[in-house]
Amino acid sequence: MDLTFNESESAFRDELRAWIKANHPGDEPAGEDEGYAFRRDWQRQLYEAGWAAVHWPSEFGGRDATLVEAAIFNEELARARAPFPANVLGLLLAGPTLMIWGTDEQKQRYLDPIMSGDEIWCQGFSEPEAGSDLASLKSKAVRDGDDWLITGQKVWTSGAQYSKWCMFVARTDFDAPKHKGLTYFILDMEQEGVEIRPLRQITGDPEFNELFLENARVPNANVLGGEGNGWTVALTTLMNERAGLAFGLQVGMTVALDELTEELAASGKLDDPMIADELGALRIKCEILRLTAYRGLTATMKYGQPGPEGSLTKWMWSQGNQELMQFATKALGPQALTGSSTWGRAMLRSRGNSIEGGTTEVLKNIIAERVLGLPRKK
Amino acid sequence: MNFDFTEDQHEIKRTARELLAKRSGIEQIREAAEGEAYDESLFTELRELGWTGIAIDEQYGGAGLGVVELMILSEELGYALAASPFLPNALGGLMIAHAGSDEQREKWLPGIASGEATATVAFASDGTAEVVPDADGAAVIVLIDGEDATLIARDDAQVEPLATIDPTRRYARVTASGGEPLPGDVAGALARAEVALSAEMVGIAQRTQEMGIEYAKERKQFDTPIGAFQAISHRCAQMLFDTEGARSATYFGGWAADADESQLAFAAAIAKAAASEAALSVTASSIQVHGGIGFTWEADVHWFFKRAQLDAAMLGGTGKQRARVTQLTAASLATAGGA
Ligand SMILES: Cc1cc2nc3c(=O)[nH]c(=O)nc-3n(C[C@H](O)[C@H](O)[C@H](O)COP(=O)(O)OP(=O)(O)OC[C@H]3O[C@@H](n4cnc5c(N)ncnc54)[C@H](O)[C@@H]3O)c2cc1C
Repeated sequence: MDLTFNESESAFRDELRAWIKANHPGDEPAGEDEGYAFRRDWQRQLYEAGWAAVHWPSEFGGRDATLVEAAIFNEELARARAPFPANVLGLLLAGPTLMIWGTDEQKQRYLDPIMSGDEIWCQGFSEPEAGSDLASLKSKAVRDGDDWLITGQKVWTSGAQYSKWCMFVARTDFDAPKHKGLTYFILDMEQEGVEIRPLRQITGDPEFNELFLENARVPNANVLGGEGNGWTVALTTLMNERAGLAFGLQVGMTVALDELTEELAASGKLDDPMIADELGALRIKCEILRLTAYRGLTATMKYGQPGPEGSLTKWMWSQGNQELMQFATKALGPQALTGSSTWGRAMLRSRGNSIEGGTTEVLKNIIAERVLGLPRKK
Repeated sequence: MNFDFTEDQHEIKRTARELLAKRSGIEQIREAAEGEAYDESLFTELRELGWTGIAIDEQYGGAGLGVVELMILSEELGYALAASPFLPNALGGLMIAHAGSDEQREKWLPGIASGEATATVAFASDGTAEVVPDADGAAVIVLIDGEDATLIARDDAQVEPLATIDPTRRYARVTASGGEPLPGDVAGALARAEVALSAEMVGIAQRTQEMGIEYAKERKQFDTPIGAFQAISHRCAQMLFDTEGARSATYFGGWAADADESQLAFAAAIAKAAASEAALSVTASSIQVHGGIGFTWEADVHWFFKRAQLDAAMLGGTGKQRARVTQLTAASLATAGGA
């Protein structure tokens, strides 16, 4: 066991730290669109310096960073309170899915603009009737010469309003069993057949959207991973979502907890033993998440896959973060719920944590069946 | 960054698991608990294998390995709920090795390492420690009162054996006046002891988790294995969540003890809190999964549940650890902010 960074990991961290220090873009401006433009500029800056996709292989413009270095990247960004790049779903989901399933042409065409942020990606999986039971989705794609015509509806599509491309799963065979009849498409969002309607979240922001498709056109060359193979390709995306996001989010939680501790200390509230106790409990959860994430990385690097602990981090994070935000607003008092504080909004946003990227209940089902080997309900 | 044991450490874990499966099965646990006596031959075997001295320097007759190796054994002994004075002896050994004077080490560590003259440790107040594990059979008792620790030869202490809810271990009330102070790093020694104790609880949680899951696969109600009901399967997932979290924290503590003293106080506090909470919740949850049978003397989950209760209370409960975690982080943030 060695829980320190080795020489090359430390060198990676030092180089990155120095770069962030010299190039930090400052505080994110208020407003959804303004914030987005800001993060897109930041991504361009990262890209030009070769930092946008450290975990990607160098043949696709990455740095061949190890999993630990990729984790360091997230930690350093969060620690410096620097923004995350705008094209998160492109970098963490679409890119890795393309690298596994894409043809050479597709990799050539799509990977670089994902990294630079020139082309933003969104994830069109969930539908009004297909959430946890994703494989029951109904959006329909039919062949039209060299193209496919897609009709249907998606919902909760984050960032669709900024996106050029959508990871879109549709049904291409209505006679096949539900997991078999799906195909994964790279859908161009900038066309007449695609209508985007913003959905206001409980925070008031329209971070996600509804998509309405009416004969949207996708060339057959934009099928990813082969016709009828959509479920398997979608699983690649989902696995990357649960594993990849957790690391950066874990650090976000540490930073929020540090800020809360400082605020409570400054106001003298830390002297209240009840507050100190709950804060200690949260810190313990946060550390356990960090340590468990690192255990998963080591197992993946050594054995090719994480052990039983690997399935837990998304759940640990969503639960920990929700408890943290709820505790923060309680401990800081009602002024934390006013417009002059960021805690109230952060608390509201945290309610989505146990829903987005797979609900906690669904994660528990997966753990019970695949990790613990418990029988599935008939 | 490498959060995994070395090959040698994995080997220690495998060997311990195999040996204890043979030597400390459920039958032996029950026999020892019901007879309220340890399996002497088991402890003799552990001594002969050199386990008792695993983390004690070679100059005192130990194997000279670290807290990580001790932690591995402690986890496996917890998993097997072995009926022996191994853990209290090891904890006392850590106190003397890391906070004792040269003379104290020379006097006591060889007996602790060989297991011939065992030690124990407990929190005390004004010379009285209410519940001390394995004090009656010990040769030396370390009492910790606040930031100070004193060492008392068994014969200088008044030791009254006690019945507790945990018949898998012998406990006693200890009263003593005087004793020799341990002049060294009491906090650092105590942190190491907390890590070794946490490991026993990780083993207890792991074992009862497995017992619950096994039962959930076998037991049928409504023509269905109960493990197919989400109320049960999600409870099992929660057991994994708690156990693995405690394991992450405890292994961090073991690593800090051997490799990074600056993080030890923090790591030990997290380990003790997480392992205590996991041992309490997982053992209780496993009883629930077993239904009525889980509440009987015959089903063996209760031995683990009972040991967990005493372990969680040993060397200070979760409340103390949480307060310490907050205090340590607030202090380090203040230093970082001020710098
Ligand atoms: C902030 C946010 C951003 C999102 N972004 C995207 C995105 O960009 N792209 C995208 O495709 N999707 C996105 N989603 C959608 C998300 O993946 C779904 O909301 C989620 O998978 C749940 O589906 P659902 O909303 O239909 O709920 P349902 O599946 O209807 O679930 C409702 C409740 O029932 C429970 N439940 C359902 N099935 C089971 C079961 N088998 N066992 C036990 N309990 C069950 C659920 O846990 C939940 O509590 C986003 C969601 C949020 C909140």
